[in-house]
Amino acid sequence: MFVAEGRAGWLAAEGVIRLPLWVVPPGVDLTPGRTVAVSLPGSGAGGDAPVRVELVYPEVTPAAMAGLAAAVRKACAASLARLKTAEVVDWIDAAVARWLDPDYLPRQWAERLLPLLTGYDAETVRLELKRLLRTFRRKELWRFLDADFANPDVLDAFRPGPAGGWVRALGPRLLVHYLSGNVPGLSVWSLVMGLLVKAGTIAKPASGEPLMAVLFARTLADIRPDLAGALAVVPWRGGDEAVEAPLLAQADAVVAYGSDQAVAAIARRVPPHARFLRYGHRISFAVIGREALAPDRYADTCHRLADDICVYDQQSCMSPQVVFVERGGAVAPAAFAALLAAEMERYQVRRPRGPVAAEEALAIQSFRGAFAFSGAEGTRVFASTDDTAWTVVYHEEPGFAPTPLNRSVHVHACDDVVTAVEAAAPYRPYLQSVGVAIHPARLFPLAERLAELGVSRIAAVGEMTRAMAGWHHDGRPNLADLVRFVDIEPSAERWAERLDADVEWDGA
Amino acid sequence: MSNGTVHDKMAHEATEMAHEPGMAHEPTVQSATSQGFMAPGLRGKVVLVTGASRGIGRAVALAFAAHGAFVAVNYLSRADLAAAVVDEARRLGGDGMAVQADVRQRHAVARMVAEVVAAAGRIDVVVNNALTNYRFDPKQRQLAWETGWPQVEAQVAASLGAVVHMAEAVLPYMQAQASGRIIHIVSNLVDFPLVPYHDYTAAKAAVVGYSRSLAAEVGRFGITVNCVAPGLTVPTDASRPTKEDVREQVIRLTPMGRLVTPDDVAGAVLFLASDWARMVTGQCLRVDGGLVMRD
Repeated sequence: MFVAEGRAGWLAAEGVIRLPLWVVPPGVDLTPGRTVAVSLPGSGAGGDAPVRVELVYPEVTPAAMAGLAAAVRKACAASLARLKTAEVVDWIDAAVARWLDPDYLPRQWAERLLPLLTGYDAETVRLELKRLLRTFRRKELWRFLDADFANPDVLDAFRPGPAGGWVRALGPRLLVHYLSGNVPGLSVWSLVMGLLVKAGTIAKPASGEPLMAVLFARTLADIRPDLAGALAVVPWRGGDEAVEAPLLAQADAVVAYGSDQAVAAIARRVPPHARFLRYGHRISFAVIGREALAPDRYADTCHRLADDICVYDQQSCMSPQVVFVERGGAVAPAAFAALLAAEMERYQVRRPRGPVAAEEALAIQSFRGAFAFSGAEGTRVFASTDDTAWTVVYHEEPGFAPTPLNRSVHVHACDDVVTAVEAAAPYRPYLQSVGVAIHPARLFPLAERLAELGVSRIAAVGEMTRAMAGWHHDGRPNLADLVRFVDIEPSAERWAERLDADVEWDGA
Repeated sequence: MSNGTVHDKMAHEATEMAHEPGMAHEPTVQSATSQGFMAPGLRGKVVLVTGASRGIGRAVALAFAAHGAFVAVNYLSRADLAAAVVDEARRLGGDGMAVQADVRQRHAVARMVAEVVAAAGRIDVVVNNALTNYRFDPKQRQLAWETGWPQVEAQVAASLGAVVHMAEAVLPYMQAQASGRIIHIVSNLVDFPLVPYHDYTAAKAAVVGYSRSLAAEVGRFGITVNCVAPGLTVPTDASRPTKEDVREQVIRLTPMGRLVTPDDVAGAVLFLASDWARMVTGQCLRVDGGLVMRD
């Protein structure tokens, strides 16, 4: 049977687990509201029986939200903001270390519940969750800090500035996160970025994935109860302006993930004094050079590319929707498209795609139909036969267009990948990651091209969806964008010297 | 294979397959009837599958049921799972019963076979699939110099013992019927110990040897004896600890480019139980996507 973890708030009785979906500072009380029940099938091993899990949502009133925001601000000022960065890093690292233990109970819960809540394949969740969490070990956290700050000590105290004077960087007292649920656990990325700059945090998880942020926040609160007051995770009904107004009024910064419309709607409600960071819709693509299609390389190239496309059913903005495949390799682009189709079918057997809504299925059907009958020379549609599980559309010429996702992709043949990528130019504002498999001599010429096109990240094919620590998310500094810099100019420093009665007056 | 076909008809997919929440990892039985053919000689047959409450055994039992067979679903401890398999067998057009037995116990096997015959009137096919509690965990495996006779003996007693007990119990019935099919689930690790599980592999090799000599003896009674040797099969509880790096290593070496599923194994078992394989005996059929190729 399952062991209930009383301290963290699990309540177990007769095979029923009640799981409150919020974490708030001590002293703030939210009333339990509606409950969503899910049934966990027994794991089959070790005599586990099916368990009923009740996810409990809180009632969030405007008054409660105002109180919560004030409490987090106050707790941040009193505790988190006074910590040294190294202590914050230790804190997060300790939480991550617990999560990287396969026997850690909340991790086991996440591995079992997330597939049910999101529809994603359980193996994918298990594997990708731990891969993501490894991005936040201590050594990686310092990478994030050093990527953004020439001297991360500015987060702790005034330090000598590069242009003379002194510099200090202060995180927001209250940072509000609107999280997205397309990739389970990505919420942790956002929380960690805020905490690294000692931000008091209130996060709203996505309705589709309400779990991971809460579980991780509980771990953090468990490790440092003295800091627990500065961190809250609360689900409320998106767009409830009465609830959000008192929160946003107290926020120093707001970060929002989601569709362009969702992010724009939040932007309208953020007051002018608060900094607003948005992570909206993005498009990624892959570039396969002829070198990656050599007899000893092509199968591996295809295997890695299929992983980039299929993991989390292409819902990550880092998953490619378009692939450029160069002619002149041992395997021709059309044959590579067929290989990719076979590989995506194998992926489907191994890690089936999650269920899709009727309108998504329809979008994939019309996508297939549009190209099956396009009449364009050489265009071919490869598709799973009985469902919409995967689709590969092959084109003889370079081109660029988004797909309906859920494992659907364009493959464009080209003579030279370095010039073919120009086809992506019309999508400039949306371009994000590019997966490359290309000879070293051509990597930098290609990278220059991609940089001009508006791309913000270049990774290996097979690693597209796993951004490294320190990545400038969508081309911006993760941490530096959150902080407020304070400069002591050299004049103030010099003048202060003069006001020391013991300093010799040089007459200057 | 359903992939790689040029999509020439749209909208033949009226609705998405309804994915049962949380069941993504359960093997799915592809109904043979819906694909327009049936393996001959399985309808109405009485089939005993050991270790059939989950994993490969479950997939094999359900595939037989989909071909109209009566399946005796043997289990050790999970009566609930075995009952669910029987329900599913009925839904697929077959019939069945759950039957508890520890196949390592000679008398338990004899009792189980008697129970099946009492309920179904005969016994036509036996699939020896049950595996004593074994974790295929490359990180925790015992090294050769840590594996003594006690470990090997335990595996041999469990694997070889189970199939010997079964032969002893079913041969009188099969001889009287002058027909029968005995199928042993072994492993391609016997040919290619990619991860050397010494005790397990030795025991499975013993089963292969016993299977051949048994085949030589009972062929004249119209009984065939064959082995099916799967590669790394997922998802199963036993293979769960075999993590990503080893899985990827196997995939890289496999011409078919993926791991084996329980349904893949069921196909080979059904072939050997069907009339198509009536002249096949003493063989070992590898179901590993071409990882091992040999005579």
